[in-house]
Amino acid sequence: MLDMIRYSFLTKIKKRDLVFWPLIFPFVLGTAMYFSIGQMEEADFETVRAALVREAEQGNVEGEDSGKEIFPIFLESLEEDSDLILTEEMTGQEAEEALENGEIDGIYYDGTDPSLTVSASGFPQSILQMVLESYMEGKETLEDVAALHPEGFAAAVRSMEDHGDVVEQVSLGGKTTDGTAQLFYALLGMACLYGCFIGYSSAMEIQANLSPLAARRCAGPVHRLSLVVTEILVSFGIHFVNMLLLLAYMKFVLKLEFAGSYVEMLPVVLMGSMIGVTMGMFITSVGKMGEGVKIGIMVGASMALSFCAGLMNPDIKNAVDRSIPLLNRVNPAALISDALYCLNVYDAPERYAQDMMILAGLCVLLTAGTFLIIRRERYVSI
Amino acid sequence: MIKIENLVKRYGVTVALDHFNLEVKEGEIYGLLGPNGSGKTTAINCMLALLKFDRGSIKVMGEEMAPDNYKIKSQIGIVMQDVAVFEELNVWDNIDYFCSLYVKDRKKRRRLVEDAIRFVGLEEYRKAYPKKLSGGLLRRLNIACGIAHRPKFIILDEPTVAVDPQSRNKILEGICELNRQGSTIVYTSHYMEEVEQICTRIAIMDHGRSIAEGTKEELKSMIKTGETVTIEAVILGGNDLAELKELPHVFDIQYEDQKLVVRCTKARHNLIRILKFLQDREIPFGRVFSELPTLNDVFLEITGKQLRD
Repeated sequence: MLDMIRYSFLTKIKKRDLVFWPLIFPFVLGTAMYFSIGQMEEADFETVRAALVREAEQGNVEGEDSGKEIFPIFLESLEEDSDLILTEEMTGQEAEEALENGEIDGIYYDGTDPSLTVSASGFPQSILQMVLESYMEGKETLEDVAALHPEGFAAAVRSMEDHGDVVEQVSLGGKTTDGTAQLFYALLGMACLYGCFIGYSSAMEIQANLSPLAARRCAGPVHRLSLVVTEILVSFGIHFVNMLLLLAYMKFVLKLEFAGSYVEMLPVVLMGSMIGVTMGMFITSVGKMGEGVKIGIMVGASMALSFCAGLMNPDIKNAVDRSIPLLNRVNPAALISDALYCLNVYDAPERYAQDMMILAGLCVLLTAGTFLIIRRERYVSI
Repeated sequence: MIKIENLVKRYGVTVALDHFNLEVKEGEIYGLLGPNGSGKTTAINCMLALLKFDRGSIKVMGEEMAPDNYKIKSQIGIVMQDVAVFEELNVWDNIDYFCSLYVKDRKKRRRLVEDAIRFVGLEEYRKAYPKKLSGGLLRRLNIACGIAHRPKFIILDEPTVAVDPQSRNKILEGICELNRQGSTIVYTSHYMEEVEQICTRIAIMDHGRSIAEGTKEELKSMIKTGETVTIEAVILGGNDLAELKELPHVFDIQYEDQKLVVRCTKARHNLIRILKFLQDREIPFGRVFSELPTLNDVFLEITGKQLRD
């Protein structure tokens, strides 16, 4: 048995397909997702540039800011406290040219009621609009503060900025949600399912009707159960290690900080690995389709399940949850993703337990189904 | 050693084995000869308890063959028609792996693997991976994987397909050597020369049935043909052919593209008689061949078609 395990392990780790799809591909996809999402975030929070065009004399702030209008002071204070926006004073013509050339995203016209001109709609323009609205909402207060307590003007502006914190997303469990995290949970779900490639290879090598190699092994004096158990154990072991490596890569290389403990994530990954491997064995063992067809079914199934679990876009998972709730309750990729989300975001042990129970059920079903098929000892045709 | 009685195997409406019978005695090299699709491999797979069959019985070493009869399975060595080795393991590991299915003792196994490597002449390729081996060497590895555990009973299913003549001779010599060492062998092939060369008894198969069985001499004596005379570059008229057919012991004449093939029953001086006939009529001719009957003639006479059709 030990020799069988040793050689089964050796043959599997030397197969390029079995290294690429269940291990390298999730690494590559994870890295690509990490960098593309990182760039998106950087783009989202790039400082928004705007021009400030003075139109008329406004009420002056007394004291150290004497001679300056309130809106420009508000903007100046905002720039000092954050890098959300950067304004530059220009003449009307300069500002219009800069806007036309795309050097700035909008023009603030300072007057009794400051206004904003933009040439497009988008995230930077929304920020400029939001800044103006903030000012307009607190305009009277700021004017009072400027008039009565000019030394507290900066503090008043800061307090207006603090309103922004109210809209920060906070989960039910008090853990901060991160939209990108869901993508990585779905990636882990997909990686688990990609264990099907290892399961495929195992089934090909123990079913006499699938390959001459398997026929030769089956003709030997080794108990069928030993052969099957060896293959399942080795395949599952290899894929679980694949998943541990992926988790370690996410933690130590990509520095992804999931809120939950990595140790708590292991049972989910363990179950997912088992489902991936047995799914591959099951698909390979059923019917006498060609190898290409079987691989196509496996890739298609894994990708479709991962898609529904939100791998390409987290909104897909939400849409599926809303329109066909049952689908993602039996979709192993969605269950893995959901269980990880429960651990890291929701802090909902009941839902986590429910996910794990369904995963365990799927695991038992697939393993039993696979075993029932591959335990056959004589075949109708070879 | 093995006894198959009335074996019937159907694939849907196709009958692959039609009341097939076979008896192989200990110490024999038993040849199963037949064209592709005649049922040889199906019979082998049934013997190995890999295939379900519809009727009949298979006994190996006196016991009913079953998938869980591990005692019998441990005495059998199998060399598949297709090369069945791990691409990811080198020559030594491949042989060791298959040997480990039969022999648990690592020390003993190491010795057996080395013996098998020497036996098939792969000493220089111990660490080579199958991808790096030529077709002939790959076939030798395939054989080594099947015989390393020194089985009492070896089944070789067309082991020389697509093999160069040098490797083929090496393989055939090896099979004879295994037999000398005490193994009983079942050898399937559609190459009649190979079967004639090494097998002590032969069954000729067609359409899932054993149509003739015996030693090669017995098989040849079953048919009318005793000698086939072929004469090239000869121009004959209609009368010549008719007179030729009247010669003693001549029973069949074929004449096409100036090539004359005359089949005679077993008798003395058939060739001299035919040549004298041509000389007397001053008919010029080219090369002349005289052949004793082959297994192809046996197959031809029984089935009406060539073995290689």
